[in-house]
Amino acid sequence: MNCVEFETCLHPFVDGELEVADTLVATVHARECAACGGRVEKERRFRELLRRQPRESAPSELRATIRRRIRRSGRVAAVRPWLLAPPVAAALLLWLLLPGSPPSLVSELVDKHMAYAQIEQPAEFVSAERAAVEAWFSQRAGLRVTVSDYSPSGMRLIGARIAEAEERKAAYVLYEKGRTLLSVFMVPSSERALEARGQHVAYRGQDYVTFERKGYRTVSWTDGRAVFGLVSMLDYEALLECAHKLRADRARQAGG
Amino acid sequence: MLGWGTAEAKCHEFENVALAHVDTLYRYGLRLTRNRAETEDLVQETYLRAFRSFHRFNPGTNCRAWLLTILRNVFLNRRRQVAHELLEPDPSHWESAAAGLTDGARPAHPEEEFFQTVLHGDVDRALKALPLGFREAVILADLEGLSYKEIAEVLGCPIGTVMSRLARGRALLRRALEGFAYERGYLKEAE
Repeated sequence: MNCVEFETCLHPFVDGELEVADTLVATVHARECAACGGRVEKERRFRELLRRQPRESAPSELRATIRRRIRRSGRVAAVRPWLLAPPVAAALLLWLLLPGSPPSLVSELVDKHMAYAQIEQPAEFVSAERAAVEAWFSQRAGLRVTVSDYSPSGMRLIGARIAEAEERKAAYVLYEKGRTLLSVFMVPSSERALEARGQHVAYRGQDYVTFERKGYRTVSWTDGRAVFGLVSMLDYEALLECAHKLRADRARQAGG
Repeated sequence: MLGWGTAEAKCHEFENVALAHVDTLYRYGLRLTRNRAETEDLVQETYLRAFRSFHRFNPGTNCRAWLLTILRNVFLNRRRQVAHELLEPDPSHWESAAAGLTDGARPAHPEEEFFQTVLHGDVDRALKALPLGFREAVILADLEGLSYKEIAEVLGCPIGTVMSRLARGRALLRRALEGFAYERGYLKEAE
């Protein structure tokens, strides 16, 4: 190992993140080369300085509050599935844990939602007009997309963008309730299965899959060959209501 | 059948596994929000969300990184309008600032001299001035002791990005600390 090679692995070396073989080679170089050895020493001392910083603890009152809220939430959660829809209770037994499986389509949509939520203007086409957004999808990507009006539930249409999913163009409609975003994805002719780890839910006579990832809730379903997915921090009741409205609007458009 | 007993057991298990990390979450929240009331709220919300999806938490996986990821997402979601700015205030400026920070470009100081000039509160002050992207990486690695893999999970980026943010973040931090020392006249500007 020469000094240039050492330079590229200096931080991982000091952080103990190198593979064993690389660590050995780097150790030898740092011992033999005074300049590189000095840099290691310097980096170590700098980390020690940072680690010596005072470490605050969470207030005990906060722990107590969290405990209280969790217990309250636990009692509600134990009851809620029965209230939401009777088949849910049966579905509770059907959870499948598939650790290490490739990311599902829905997980990919959550990541997209997160990525778009972090950019300044998440919508590529900004409009609060349903018809204008539908026309834009048709012109821009030849996608026939139904855009629902959620304004009675306090959700404002922000706009739309074309997103990639499964190397296909997908439609992405964006709403906002207060400061919380709702993304509605439509992935046409999808071949990937819906979230296998999700929970199957019946809502007003139709089937959905709910799944939570990284703090975001998703509701997804298949309609024809398209997969639809809603991603938001809004609660499931609100998401299912939106999903139901979109399905009804789509059926109406297809019929008319 | 889900009864009260099951709910109790679930709460208990969650508390055992997850509440152990409350200090880390609180400190990280404070660094993100710089506000105690907001941090307490953020941490509570994180735990409630985590609790709701706890049944899908795989005991073999990393609970701390999982909780930190949720905390960060809740924070960014709340700050959506400004999140972009928070993450990369002016990328070109910071890129060039960080690019010039190799050791060769910096005046050399005897190490003893440098460490003696760092006063109480300096590190906090310097950290606050770092752009969020670099600040998060440095805080998670050097103050909270997370591995590269955990940091990548929390920040939702590849390990390579974690490594470059760490190298640049640390260099910027060191330069800021040296800057404070110049201000006080402890270190002299290089000729």
